[in-house]
Amino acid sequence: MPFLIENIIKVVFALLVLIVIGNFVLIGLAISRRQRREKYFQRIDAVRAEFRPVVGEVLSGRMEYQEGLKRLQQISGLDRLYLLEQLLLEKKPNPTEEPILRRLCEDLGLVRIWQNRVKGHVDTASVREAVGRPEGILERVGRLRFLIRAKSAENLGIIRHRDSWPLLVKALDDPHPDIQSVAARALAAIRETESFPALVAQLHKVVLDASATALSLRSVKSALVSFPLDCAPALVRSLQHPNRRIRFLATDILREMVLREANGDGQYDLDRKRVGVEIVEIFLTQLPFDENPDVRARSAAVIAFLPDPRSTPALLTLLRDDTWFVRLHAVRALARRKFLSQAAEIGQALSDPNWRVREAAVATLRTYGAAGLNQLTAHFIHTDDAYSREQVADEFQRAGLIPDLLQRYASEDDSQAAQVLNRMARMGKTGYLVSVLSADAQPALRKKFLLNFARNPDPQIRQWVERVASQEPDPDLRSVAAAALEPPSAAGEA
Amino acid sequence: MEEWRQIFIHGMDMFNVVIVAYFFLGNGMYTILMVMSLMAVWLHNRRLAYQGLDEIRESPVTPPVTVIIPAWNEQEIITQTTESILRTDYPDVEVIVVDDGSTDQTLQRLMDYFHLVKMDLIYRPRLATRLVRGFYMNPEIPNLLVISKENGGKPDALNVGINMARTPYFCTLDSDSILEHDALLRLMRPVVRSPINVVASGGIVRILNGCRVEKGRVVSVSLPKSRLERFQVVEYLRSFLFGRTGWDLFGGTLIVSGAFAVFHRETVVEAGGFEHDTVTEDMDLIVQLHHWAVRHHRKIRMCFTSDPVCWTECPSTVRMLQKQRRRWQLGLCQTLWKHSEMLFNRDYGTVGFLSFPFHLYVEALGAAAEFMGYFMVPLAFLFNMVPPLLYLLFVLLSLAYGGLLSVGAVLLEELTYRRYPSFRELTTLLFFAFLENIGYRQMVLYFRFEGVVRFFAGFRQWEKVTHVGAGS
Repeated sequence: MPFLIENIIKVVFALLVLIVIGNFVLIGLAISRRQRREKYFQRIDAVRAEFRPVVGEVLSGRMEYQEGLKRLQQISGLDRLYLLEQLLLEKKPNPTEEPILRRLCEDLGLVRIWQNRVKGHVDTASVREAVGRPEGILERVGRLRFLIRAKSAENLGIIRHRDSWPLLVKALDDPHPDIQSVAARALAAIRETESFPALVAQLHKVVLDASATALSLRSVKSALVSFPLDCAPALVRSLQHPNRRIRFLATDILREMVLREANGDGQYDLDRKRVGVEIVEIFLTQLPFDENPDVRARSAAVIAFLPDPRSTPALLTLLRDDTWFVRLHAVRALARRKFLSQAAEIGQALSDPNWRVREAAVATLRTYGAAGLNQLTAHFIHTDDAYSREQVADEFQRAGLIPDLLQRYASEDDSQAAQVLNRMARMGKTGYLVSVLSADAQPALRKKFLLNFARNPDPQIRQWVERVASQEPDPDLRSVAAAALEPPSAAGEA
Repeated sequence: MEEWRQIFIHGMDMFNVVIVAYFFLGNGMYTILMVMSLMAVWLHNRRLAYQGLDEIRESPVTPPVTVIIPAWNEQEIITQTTESILRTDYPDVEVIVVDDGSTDQTLQRLMDYFHLVKMDLIYRPRLATRLVRGFYMNPEIPNLLVISKENGGKPDALNVGINMARTPYFCTLDSDSILEHDALLRLMRPVVRSPINVVASGGIVRILNGCRVEKGRVVSVSLPKSRLERFQVVEYLRSFLFGRTGWDLFGGTLIVSGAFAVFHRETVVEAGGFEHDTVTEDMDLIVQLHHWAVRHHRKIRMCFTSDPVCWTECPSTVRMLQKQRRRWQLGLCQTLWKHSEMLFNRDYGTVGFLSFPFHLYVEALGAAAEFMGYFMVPLAFLFNMVPPLLYLLFVLLSLAYGGLLSVGAVLLEELTYRRYPSFRELTTLLFFAFLENIGYRQMVLYFRFEGVVRFFAGFRQWEKVTHVGAGS
């Protein structure tokens, strides 16, 4: 036993010594690294401070290009590449700066280096270089070189180097997942039409054999939707693919591309020449009848932008679909003023069994301006569908229409406004009404409201009337409120 | 009498074996986590050079997110937190503040600051909650919704937020926290990039105390002045940079801090939302999500990323720290007990065989073992069962090892994010990392032990930690 104890003591003692040494090593590492970094970055900062204005002036055109190039060529030493990357790619270039930046990167030899690196040709750093600068270790250790290669691919994307697209397409099949995903992003930034089919092929790969690529579906989709609509014909095969998921993703990608091009412009119409007649026909004749409801749903937004007489009937077909989210997308797609004539059809969606469709129908009608609002109001007053009423009341509040409604109620003999207020009071949706009345409403409005609604049993109105009766400075309003609070018989006697 | 003595000695022997096993098992695992995290965080930091945040920001494919902020008596900081989220760098963000029946001016301050008016909106309780009293909005700020409800605790408030959220993802955020301007974008990066469906994504929580805050933004980072807060800075670094990263690498994430995390809404609703039967609803939800995935045969991922930063106020008094740590430990025990069928269950893979047992035996029960060890081992020494030298060496080894982990965390911070800019702050952190194991660790251990005792006593109450507005 003592022998065992002695051995344990020895082991524990050895461990203790080892760990104490480990502690001091880690402390030493942290401190020395901070000191080295500070020294290193003081030097780097000095160079940056000297050359940053040069880059700014060349990019903005205030300095002659050749002069700027000459100045930047003066940067030398081990950190040359790192420094130039830092200086030139510090911030995203604007469209006017972009060609100059691209030219600078080419003339300084950076593009060639980046292209070589993406291909896998990374110069091995010496041990001195490896410890002497932050990037050195990445060049020294083979397994870490993917970091340099991925950064190089990213750089080619930042400067939108068009000629590099074949290289980046190859990189989509690189063994390292980081290179694949950065290459997809760089291609999306460059937007070279010819590279689009390669990304579509990646999309098929992700869906059909996810193990064949490290790219995520969102990454590929995100890259594809960045391309201009002229690339759409490359999606024809995907739109007709036997795999329902591929058809869905292709439809959704086109939808995103169209929405991006439309950029919220209510008048925008899709140019059939750009997307191709085949695509237009697929959208009008096949996709609204696809067996996959996701495809039918996503097709609606594109159909809405097609300047074709068949688009409205196609949308109305989708509006009557059995699947709720197809109806939802159809209602949303109709939210353009050119479909104003379909307001009655959309009005029917206000009574849809699914609340999200009802909600979308309310929002769509709101985009039609006064005409849509009138329809909403009429529906709200006359419908017996409690769910539908709730939905419209929700939208009236969220959209901030209550002050306007009260204004209409005060300024004219608007029986519609009075009916809406009456209905809202009966539904107990009076929080916003009362807030407006309590805050900055005109005395005339408050008086009219008091005369008509003071006896309403709604607790929020009741509380407001009590407040007016007790705290209102205007004696006229106070007395109207006080009278309303008296029991009906007493008031009658008075 | 001799028989009793033998039983006692035997018992003590057994306990000493448990303590030694706990020491080597626990610290061995911590060492593995430390080494793996050192490499992973360093690599992740390098990868940030080509992270492509612009692409996430500009892509129409990036999913919109609702930030849910549950608040109970947070009048001092609620407007600052809300404003910081409204100005966050994310393409499509909605904010829902849920006032959980505050008895102070929380709701009124929000109403005054954002000019909110009461609305009677539709409430569809897919997750059962306490009564909702009212909704407050300003039509000029359509992406902000404040909800007032009866007090029902943080999980209930979060469930109300989930019921009102419309976006596919939601982010939970503590009301005493401030997000860095691009934290949400960074937190969503794994969601966008991962080929596997990410249902939960957590970021790092750092300590706000000592930092300068202007208009809901942290404008300069410094160490707090008080020693108690500095110890917590080191502790958080260790916990997030080593612990969370390490488990993420193993695919055994069991804890994602609810102070700042993103979740997939539909999956959470299907998994039952935040439940009320533990006091650490965030951990409970993560475990529930593991259950959900196994039940539905779904391949999901729950991940931790070390660069999205959420600044939060840490307790500045021992009393508050005690409450916080007691609750965390109690919640840990409750959650592990509640889901005990996961233990060594092969359906749960790494979680069942590694993460869950580690959290149960080392993190939960280990606190009791370590605490009792401080008394039992000297007792064994008094009874001449352990040579004094061995006892002394073990104590020193334990302290030195704790120091190594903390110093390692500070080194990792230095190698990667370097949030504390001055040299003096680095040396202070190293000093506190070393010092943390003498006194502070034992104090926290006592609080954790209390948590374990409370668990066995059936205590279930949430202990509120009050904040004083630490960022100046």
